[in-house]
Amino acid sequence: MTTTTVFWCEDSLYGILTGVYEAWDSRLGHDRVRLKTDEQDSLELFCDYRQVKTDASKAEKVLGTIRERLGEEAFEAVCYAAACEDSGRADAIYRMVVLGLHMKNGQQVVNCLQNPCVSLVMRLRTKAWHEAHRYMGFVRFEELENGVLYAQIEPVCAVLPLLAPHFAERFRQEHWVIHDKKRGLMAVHPRGTLWVLADAGDLNPACLERRSGREREFQELWKSFCKAIAIEERRNPRCQQGLLPLRFRDCMTEFQETV
Amino acid sequence: MQVRVPENLSLMEKLNILSDAAKYDVACTSSGTERGNSGKGVGNCIEPGICHSFSADGRCISLLKILFTNECIYNCRYCLNRVSNDVPRAAFTPQEVCDLVMGFYRRNYIEGLFLSSGILKSPSYTMELLFQTLYKLRHECGFGGYIHVKAIPGADPRLIEMTGYLADRMSINLELPTAEGLKRLAPSKSRTRILTPMRQVQNRMAENRNELALYQNAPRFVPAGQSTQMIIGATPESDYQIVSVAEALYQKFALKRVFYSAFVRVNEDSLLPALPGGPPLLREHRLYQADWLLRYYGFRAEELLSEEKPNFNVLLDPKCDWALCHLEQFPVEINRADYQTLLRVPGIGVRSARRIVKARRLGSLDFPDLKRMGVVLKRALYFITCRGRTMYPIRIEEDYITRNLLSVKERLPLGLGEQMTYRQLSLFDDFNFSVSSESSGRTACGLSAQ
Repeated sequence: MTTTTVFWCEDSLYGILTGVYEAWDSRLGHDRVRLKTDEQDSLELFCDYRQVKTDASKAEKVLGTIRERLGEEAFEAVCYAAACEDSGRADAIYRMVVLGLHMKNGQQVVNCLQNPCVSLVMRLRTKAWHEAHRYMGFVRFEELENGVLYAQIEPVCAVLPLLAPHFAERFRQEHWVIHDKKRGLMAVHPRGTLWVLADAGDLNPACLERRSGREREFQELWKSFCKAIAIEERRNPRCQQGLLPLRFRDCMTEFQETV
Repeated sequence: MQVRVPENLSLMEKLNILSDAAKYDVACTSSGTERGNSGKGVGNCIEPGICHSFSADGRCISLLKILFTNECIYNCRYCLNRVSNDVPRAAFTPQEVCDLVMGFYRRNYIEGLFLSSGILKSPSYTMELLFQTLYKLRHECGFGGYIHVKAIPGADPRLIEMTGYLADRMSINLELPTAEGLKRLAPSKSRTRILTPMRQVQNRMAENRNELALYQNAPRFVPAGQSTQMIIGATPESDYQIVSVAEALYQKFALKRVFYSAFVRVNEDSLLPALPGGPPLLREHRLYQADWLLRYYGFRAEELLSEEKPNFNVLLDPKCDWALCHLEQFPVEINRADYQTLLRVPGIGVRSARRIVKARRLGSLDFPDLKRMGVVLKRALYFITCRGRTMYPIRIEEDYITRNLLSVKERLPLGLGEQMTYRQLSLFDDFNFSVSSESSGRTACGLSAQ
């Protein structure tokens, strides 16, 4: 009886890619290995478990190979898919890479939607892209007393690294911070330089309480604009909720009660 | 005439009045242009556009949609801001608009500005105010975000041209689909006066494309293209007329978009239709569906509608409706049909058609694959085969397919296998007797007599 070896990776892009490296490198055969990211609550019988230690240099190698052999689109798809929370994604990424590297033209792998693994990666890519795109609009900055723009988000996918480049381009001359409350991470962008990902534990809560002088005024102006722009005769809360689900509204200015 | 704009309104009051007055304008889109940050100012544009919020009517809020002033010298019957209405009037100053835009944009509330205006004093005077505002915003505030501005018909062409270099999109409202309607409801506007600036913007854009081909850094004129909007349901035009007008605008004026706005009765006026059922939202929806078919699916207006069939089917979308009338072209084999043919299948959109065309080069496709690719099988299954087979045993027959398409929930087609001859009796079926045109009451009697 053959046993399957399960490679257990950390739940992050680099974790998964290190897993891909290790699984390939183990030379056990592609159908005898599996990748897993989720918690170890129920172990399977007849399986070997191997803990994968995340190694940035191995992950970079895999990433470089994907970019070179499978093309820019596959590279982007893998990065976006890794940002989703889906238990099957690590294994699907592995299978997609294996398939792509065995194809005559690796760039075609993203079109091979008959394959369930490629299909899953591409669907996850769309999901994460969609979430990131929504947040490009739904992020609400507040101006703090020291001139820093501060926003909070609670995304279902880890979209912060996908979101930050957009705001870095848009607000190049601003200090801004986007705080992912769910994951305890933040993207910090000091004026005119590159953005960095940091641990949100470093935030000073007292500093966040002090808003700038005109902040309140602009919030009120925005709320009244949102109210005035709706046409009463066309009222359609269901449509609104479909396009802007309730989970986003906690962090959005226009849906907060005036105190 | 006297100007009725009070001097001492606060910014909040002005914003309330002037956004309320702008809410009937459609086209809150921010797509169609890609521009990086200038490095000095604030803002950029991205090609697909971004929605920043959704209002209680489910429409997207992407731009700060305001009128510069709701003071107006015209008396268009459908408009809330017509000169004879007693509504609170207000006007921004260019500086106030800039403050609002910059304050909102920095907080990521908006993608840019949508600036329209009532006619203050004269078209040229108003256009100049709009120009000043845009100039200030672009050059003094360094604003690099999206700007959609209305060109005012009748304004000096030079002003329109200068404004076009500052904006991303320009639009001139067609107001009503036909010249007769316009004459009836907006006597101070005329079709030629609306179409002249539209042609001007079109020509200038074409010239600008040539300039840009030569000099990459030449100033860009209306890079996101030109659009227009018209009111649906205020005048008695048929859908066929409206779709034909839209098609002509796309072909002859190279418009990027035509927007349709369901008529909302805001004024009491004998020339306006009463709409007891509210604004014609379903009709608007069908027109947008048809608009997409014109722009992305290669349909022509006369394929969708005709003089004999001037209005859209209420129950079915235009594409299903078309397919049901052209069953001789179906079923289509997914693994062989060309892209244009795939696009015409109900349930297959631009994206899924592209995916199919790319994926089938690498191996043949079956129904589960199609489902994963995003094809809406509950609509498509009547019109397609995979490897020569349909998904279920179905009949390519108009009323059979219609009945199944009309069922809201996804379900297997009625009468599978053995029960193929079974057919559910409904009030609208007429297989043993023909519905005479006399009365529907007789039909019901006929049914109960059976």
